[in-house]
Amino acid sequence: MSQSAEPTAAAATGDISRLTDHLFRHEAGKLVSVLTGIFGINRLQLAEDVVQESLVRALRTWPYTGVPKNPAAWLTQTAKNLALDVIRREKSFHDKEPQIIASMEQWPSEAAESGSPMFENEIRDGRLRLMFACCHPVLSAEDQTALALRTLCAFSPAEIGKAFLTTEAAIAKRLTRAKQKIRDEHIPFEIPAGDELSRRLDGVLQTLYLLFNEGYKASSGDHLIREELCLEAIRLASLLTEHPAGDQPRTHALTALMLFNAARLPGRIDQEGNILRLREQDRSTWNQAMIALGMQHLSLSASGNDLTPYHLQAAIAACHCAAIDYQATNWQKILSLYDQLLELDGSPIIALNRAVAVANVHGAQAGIDAVQSIQRRTQLNSYYLLYAVLGELETQLNHFQAAIANFRKALELTELTSEQSFLSKRLEETEQSSLKNVA
Amino acid sequence: MSTTSTVKSDYLLLFRGNVWDRGLSPAQIQKVVSDWMAWFEGLKAEGKCLGGHPLEEHGKVVSGRQRTVADGPFAESKEAIGGYFYLTVADENEAIEIAKQCPGLEYGSVVEVRPVADVCSMRQRAEEYSTRQFAEATA
Repeated sequence: MSQSAEPTAAAATGDISRLTDHLFRHEAGKLVSVLTGIFGINRLQLAEDVVQESLVRALRTWPYTGVPKNPAAWLTQTAKNLALDVIRREKSFHDKEPQIIASMEQWPSEAAESGSPMFENEIRDGRLRLMFACCHPVLSAEDQTALALRTLCAFSPAEIGKAFLTTEAAIAKRLTRAKQKIRDEHIPFEIPAGDELSRRLDGVLQTLYLLFNEGYKASSGDHLIREELCLEAIRLASLLTEHPAGDQPRTHALTALMLFNAARLPGRIDQEGNILRLREQDRSTWNQAMIALGMQHLSLSASGNDLTPYHLQAAIAACHCAAIDYQATNWQKILSLYDQLLELDGSPIIALNRAVAVANVHGAQAGIDAVQSIQRRTQLNSYYLLYAVLGELETQLNHFQAAIANFRKALELTELTSEQSFLSKRLEETEQSSLKNVA
Repeated sequence: MSTTSTVKSDYLLLFRGNVWDRGLSPAQIQKVVSDWMAWFEGLKAEGKCLGGHPLEEHGKVVSGRQRTVADGPFAESKEAIGGYFYLTVADENEAIEIAKQCPGLEYGSVVEVRPVADVCSMRQRAEEYSTRQFAEATA
């Protein structure tokens, strides 16, 4: 026994290092796309099952044998073998069997040192087709994001549930419903072309943005998974930029926007998990590599006449990233970008963000006026951030009583513990300032 | 060094619970692979584990006077053995402590700890038996 184990032990030493971060999840996402191309979009579940089985085989053997030299190729080869078994076994594939097998012949063998370019293209195209299918307009936004996370990013229903603050069962149900809808509505597994491409690409970008924001918004959800959502949205957007169908200025704009915001994630929270305001953040924690990549995408986004909200938001985020400190922020430019953004998208949330820029350029009172004009025009009265902003601006004017009233109102309206503790802290500080002022 | 501490006994850790991996996400699977491999490597480096192997799920069962050959599975799949470690440790407690470190436990794995019967006494009995046979035959 000990003899037969020795070569294994030697081969296994240091093998764990071959398991790069997220290797299984990323390979699973790729393989589901490729297998969907083989089984058909109606058999999405079958593709998922075959991929899962491949991972499980690795789990049964790798702990003893060590990680193979090329783990991704091992998983691909295993998935290929399992897929071939399915195709031979299932009657529904009989008609197409020879052509399916012929196409699978092109898959790289396990012995190959690296993937063949042809197969890499197949993976890339498969992922884009699946992306367009998952983000098809007949599916609800909720279904789209859940499906994208399940099939393209290989998160489990339990993990998706954690990110969306819902149960595993609710997500599983949503996924089943979405897959049924794909079958019922005959959603194609293809990259749209011609006039349709632009419209469908907008849908994909919107879903990726939604996915990103789901991860970005400060919340009581699982911190790590939320950060991964942001990174996945960026990964998928980058994948789009690498394909002629997705390589559009607006795709670059969205990618830049997400990169700038994600770069600032490490600075948003202190070591106790408290939210930090932009002016309090330690800018040395911002991810400079992401910012640099964001700047590249931002310049690529300017290559046409396209001007989308993504462009303007990316430009605003770039201003923040480029400023050495809070005082050095170019608020004038940010305000003019918000003015343009408001023309494209008149949402009250954007108007509220613009009001902050107004306050930084024209003073706190001008900011308060801007917020109050939003209140008169829209239904933003139950949005906690509106009162949090008013509270901050009133403090700057030493209107402590007004500030206290606004912070209290904001506190009433938010349910997230991280935001509650931030607002309580601000409320306490303001109360103290108010006492000192009286004294 | 006292003689008791140098006495080693052998144990097999048998890993059951082959369905425990079904509900795992790819990220969890990767974590269990890494943890399990590190565990196995560590035990081998410490000289406490002489080796181990995974077992394939499928196989044959040979039984009865008719030498009937049937396909597996041999038991409920959740009870089938998925692999084993061969341990050489001080005592049963140490084997149990090692079994408790199995990374699959929190996902439903079951580890069976079985002492390997003392080979020396077996051999002794076999030798005694053959000597007796020889004596009878040559009597």
